[in-house]
Amino acid sequence: MRSPRNLCALAVLAAMLVAAAGCGGSSSSSTSSGGVTSIVLWHGYVDTEGKAINTMVSEFNKTHPTIHVTAQFYGNSDYALQKVLTAIAGGKPPDISYLYGSWAANIAQSSKTVDLNRYIQNDPSFDWNAFWPSERGAATVDGKIVGVPALVDNLALVYNKAVLKKAGIPFPTANWTWQDLRAAAAKLTDPAAKQFGWAYVNDGSEDTVWRFEALLWQAGGEILSPDGKQAAFDSPAGVQALTLLQQMAVQDHTVYLDSGNDLYANLFNSGHIGMLYTGPWDLAGFPNVNFGVQILPGDLNHQTISGPDNWVLFNNGSARTQAAWKFISWFTSSKQSLEWSQRTGDLPIRSSDLKLPGYARYISTYPGVATFVKNLQNAQQVRPVTPLYPKISAAIGQAVQSVLLGKAQPKQALDQAASQVNAILAAP
Amino acid sequence: MRFSWPSPRHLFLAPLALIMAAPLIWMAITSIETPDQARQFPPVLIPHGIDWHNYTRAVDSAPFGAWYLNSIVVSLVVVLSNLVLCSLAAYAFARIRFFGANVLFIALLATLMVPFQVILIPTFLIVRHLGLIDNVSALIVPNLVNAFGIFMLRQFFRTLPIELEEAARIDGCSRLGVLIKIVLPLSVPALSTLALIMLLWTWNDFLWPLVAINTEKHMTLQVGLSTFQGQHQTQWTVLMAGNVLALLPLVIAFLLTQRSFVRSIAASGVKG
Amino acid sequence: MRLLRSDHVTGWLLVAPATLVLVAFGLIPIAWSAVLSFQHNDLLSAPHWVGTANYQALRHDPVFRKSVHNTVVYTVLFVPISIAAALAVAVALNTRIRGISIYRTAVFIPVAVSTVATAIIFNWVFDPTYGIANWLLNELGISSQGFFQDPDQALYAIVAMTVWGWIGFDVIIYLAALQGIPQELLEAAAIDGAGRWATFRSVTLPLLSPATLFLVVWSTINALQLFDEIYNTTRGGPLQSTTVVVYYLWQQAFQFFNAGYGAAVAEVLLVAILVVTLLQFLISRRSVYYTS
Repeated sequence: MRSPRNLCALAVLAAMLVAAAGCGGSSSSSTSSGGVTSIVLWHGYVDTEGKAINTMVSEFNKTHPTIHVTAQFYGNSDYALQKVLTAIAGGKPPDISYLYGSWAANIAQSSKTVDLNRYIQNDPSFDWNAFWPSERGAATVDGKIVGVPALVDNLALVYNKAVLKKAGIPFPTANWTWQDLRAAAAKLTDPAAKQFGWAYVNDGSEDTVWRFEALLWQAGGEILSPDGKQAAFDSPAGVQALTLLQQMAVQDHTVYLDSGNDLYANLFNSGHIGMLYTGPWDLAGFPNVNFGVQILPGDLNHQTISGPDNWVLFNNGSARTQAAWKFISWFTSSKQSLEWSQRTGDLPIRSSDLKLPGYARYISTYPGVATFVKNLQNAQQVRPVTPLYPKISAAIGQAVQSVLLGKAQPKQALDQAASQVNAILAAP
Repeated sequence: MRFSWPSPRHLFLAPLALIMAAPLIWMAITSIETPDQARQFPPVLIPHGIDWHNYTRAVDSAPFGAWYLNSIVVSLVVVLSNLVLCSLAAYAFARIRFFGANVLFIALLATLMVPFQVILIPTFLIVRHLGLIDNVSALIVPNLVNAFGIFMLRQFFRTLPIELEEAARIDGCSRLGVLIKIVLPLSVPALSTLALIMLLWTWNDFLWPLVAINTEKHMTLQVGLSTFQGQHQTQWTVLMAGNVLALLPLVIAFLLTQRSFVRSIAASGVKG
Repeated sequence: MRLLRSDHVTGWLLVAPATLVLVAFGLIPIAWSAVLSFQHNDLLSAPHWVGTANYQALRHDPVFRKSVHNTVVYTVLFVPISIAAALAVAVALNTRIRGISIYRTAVFIPVAVSTVATAIIFNWVFDPTYGIANWLLNELGISSQGFFQDPDQALYAIVAMTVWGWIGFDVIIYLAALQGIPQELLEAAAIDGAGRWATFRSVTLPLLSPATLFLVVWSTINALQLFDEIYNTTRGGPLQSTTVVVYYLWQQAFQFFNAGYGAAVAEVLLVAILVVTLLQFLISRRSVYYTS
């Protein structure tokens, strides 16, 4: 009575495993079969952008019968990195993947990442120099080119026209200074009505840091020394920039401190916040606001910061890499990239796109975008392209956050962060 | 017809239920709002009219049916497998003295003490070795047994009066027979609770299905729902509609579990 | 003698299938990660062996120490509060009044709702300016609090959020256990003249002790591995006040590309949880009452 039942249970389990293994093994990508090279592209596009990528991928597949591209959605933000890292570690990376520019320096460390220098040199029509300088900077790690620009953006001043008019503040001009920003924020803030003049993302992450870095550059400061071995953000320029934040947040109380979950967007859309430093991606989230866009208020200059993202190619054999290059060079060529911008509202990734006939239509379809494109000229520097940047960012983020919460003074906070960063840079 | 006062428990339970159910209420309200209503903050609690389009969009804009089916299949197999295999093991740990039992029990329990992010990559490597990546079975095989089930059932089995089992053994019944004929029938509340919990975890599992599945139509519901949540834009209304739809099977399963409690008490009558 | 020997065989046969799966997908991956902890590994470039360097570094790491402190504080608060509250709720739900299904389902809902949705709600509830929590406090005459934005309060806000989110789980375990209490024992106590509270203390509670032990062990194991809720709300901040051990581990592996170091943190955590669990089992021997 004992054994048959036991064996029965084990047999069921074995059958399940066999069945599972049997119907497995449908590999998501294969090499040439019947002359068609199949490749896989991973992306995080949803909604409008998701439709756009699927449409354009089908268009490519139709016009390039020897290559078949499958576009797969991989989730979003940090979960995506885990997925990509796991795939690489597991020996099954996609052929192309959308990856944040801030990961470029780390992804470059993998032997699976393709160095695109050779492909760019062999393809004169590609015109690498037509991409914006900030994009090229974010994709180049120690001379290796690890990505084709997928997205370019920058921070600009977005404001609620109705709210400003009501407070009697003239719309921001291209000559606004930090003092203008501070004064306007003070006039726009009304604690009784729970209105704020400005917002700042204060979760200590890169979102906190990169806004500060724009201010640092505007005050003439640098993040690291030219040789990249020492922190340079604890200079007087850095203290000045952080002091502005302290004055507005801690003294004036004119800043809504966002906890990193993007509540500021809904608040701005509901008219509770007057002005934002944000990028073009947010504009679609403000259907209830008649907004205006202006370049950032400046100090010594009006520099802004850009956060380009890349299409990274992974090596799954030369046939697939060639096919991947074919696709990505087609997708990022002037004609296709302008079509992409037209479909999604993303900024044009090539400066040459501005000369195309379709550009005027793009500008008129998406209000506010023209200023963001103009602002790309102000994105003159890039963040340090080093694998250590995430740790550097964390140290600076803590400093900024502690000042915004009123727990530290700008000079002390920056000095402490600088010594941490120096230790990070010095480690073997 | 006798009139009886409502129990005073309502005074405690009603507000509690409201606090507990608040997220579902908020999700349901958001799911019938228009997108620009949803982009308000503080949130709009009384929508201006009902927009059912979010539900149709959620179901149409992606292989929603496939996701639902995948989630159901994976959950059912995992739940059944756990009920069977965990019962076998838990009974042995609870009632049988065998060599190495304690050490093995602790070792198996240790699998609960490491967060999944840590074993994400080796699990991927093993599943890839089995050739199951991007296949629905990749979601089933690593989850066929969860040590939680062994732990929970062992605790529960130990509370049952041993005399019944001893009597059966004296009558010549094997260990397995005792388990199946005596112990399991008495364990219906525990088994249905375990089933509910395993269903819950499998249904809401996100990280592993995200990493193991690439093709959209092989995804499960939770991963599929994340397609409504972009890097900078979230389609709140459609996402909430999807979440409400995703929640329904869990609520149904819960109600069924509660039913089984009542039935088992009625069936067992006088216990012990 | 023959009986004993066949007991060993039977025991192993019964646990074999479960053991097979758990070894393959539990213990082997854990061993892999243990190996990783002796490497400098960013999961991208070639790793190299560094012996115990990661563990040495851990001892002097102030953020790691802070994460341990935060985790312990969180656990010490979360476990007793959630279990005591769950017991009270389970007892209240252990009845057949009208609408009891609705009440029970309502209590269960937070457990079924995904962590992401829960986090969205609590981010709103606890928003210092616009959230409902401060609105309530203000109505009661208390000044606004920072909650998730205040380094001194964030961890406690997380405790509140997770108690709310997980109490339903403990409740269903307790409900199942309460169903198992034989009516005759309760009736006998009543006949003997014991009041409701006395019956509860001397009959119900001891009979619930296996469930309580289970929940204490399980809640502790879970609390020490807190991650999802932190990830979706405070991201370890502000100022690392909610950085718990698993969040720190995740940061090291997937933000700073220090997977080897993260693995070392995981191994230390594993050992700590094992020790705590064993202690709980040992201590419970005297107070847990199994009817057999």
